[in-house]
Amino acid sequence: MSTRKKRSIFDIIDEYFERLDEWAERFGEVMIERPSWNQRASTIEPLRDILITPNEVIVTADLPYAEESKVQVKPLDEDSLEIIAKMRRKVRFADFGITHHAGEFQTFRCQTRIPVPVDMRKMEVHIKKGILEIHLPRKGRYRIPIE
Amino acid sequence: MSEEVKIIERQKIPSGATMLFGFPDVGLVGVIAASHIISELNLKEVAYLDSKLLPPLIVLHEGLPHSPIRIFGNHDVLLAVSETAVPADAIQPIMRTLVDWGRNKDAKVMISMSGIPVQNRQDIDKLKIFGAASNPSVLKMIQDKDVEVLKEGYMVGPQAIIMHYCARIGVPAITLLAQCFYNYPDPEASAATLKELAKITDIKVDVSALLEKGEEIRLRARDVMRRTQKEMAKMKKTQEYDIPLYVS
Repeated sequence: MSTRKKRSIFDIIDEYFERLDEWAERFGEVMIERPSWNQRASTIEPLRDILITPNEVIVTADLPYAEESKVQVKPLDEDSLEIIAKMRRKVRFADFGITHHAGEFQTFRCQTRIPVPVDMRKMEVHIKKGILEIHLPRKGRYRIPIE
Repeated sequence: MSEEVKIIERQKIPSGATMLFGFPDVGLVGVIAASHIISELNLKEVAYLDSKLLPPLIVLHEGLPHSPIRIFGNHDVLLAVSETAVPADAIQPIMRTLVDWGRNKDAKVMISMSGIPVQNRQDIDKLKIFGAASNPSVLKMIQDKDVEVLKEGYMVGPQAIIMHYCARIGVPAITLLAQCFYNYPDPEASAATLKELAKITDIKVDVSALLEKGEEIRLRARDVMRRTQKEMAKMKKTQEYDIPLYVS
């Protein structure tokens, strides 16, 4: 006969969220524990950030040395986009005093998933002081009438 | 000195110096400012920090190993700086040990350099610098020198620990916070901090080279910024955006 204690629905929900937190932390570690550059593709991943406001999602990326006129932002599907930016100069590992890697980079490249539904067709892109700013209006916003 | 954190001196340490702190935080403002001071004043490593609380890493320079947290200095200035993101759990004991060490060297004042994030940072050309102090007389001194005081709010991170601990043990301390990017290295904010530092101390450095090399610094600092973001999330850094509940 099982002696297992019967758990309340609240215990089960708590456990579910604890597992979710653990998973998110582990996923975050995996995401961060890789180089920020790709030697084969000769690309560097830019620092980026996502801000979700009530009306829009703002994606920013830090693109030092980027040729502002050659920055490309491409929607890949409904909830992800790709940023590609050519730099004005080539950057070599040797420029940073690194001699144990060889390679040079002249392009920033990254893919970003947008966490809430947005209208990619209405995307607006600005760049100022080397910071790329992508504005994506949120979609599927509806009002619940208060009775 | 804490058992967990030790400071090993490489040479005789001058007494009565101004002690500066540049630790990874928003915009890496303090670290970038500290690196520039080291280069402009040609400061030498005078001590380093050893702790099991740090990740198992060393920094290699010219093939030789160094602690990621070091103290540079000359007769007038001591500067503690970290080349790596400091684990959130280690910040308290490390900062307290550094303050205790500086107090033993009769440091006349402890000054932390850091940032205060603003969401519309790229739209701001003239950055504001805010100051806070560990006691009323130091606060009056910085106000007399036209430093705008951060009157109400939360401070999170190394500078918060330094300020609180210094206030508790009676050591004069100042924090300078430049408006900056939250997640991106911000050399302009570091330059603005150094100009403010020159107003309240005799530490005056030319920031033109720092501004000229801004893009290079942003590129170089990406990886430290990335790891610092992770530690900032752990220490709930976004609490600095919160409106405090007033308790008199």
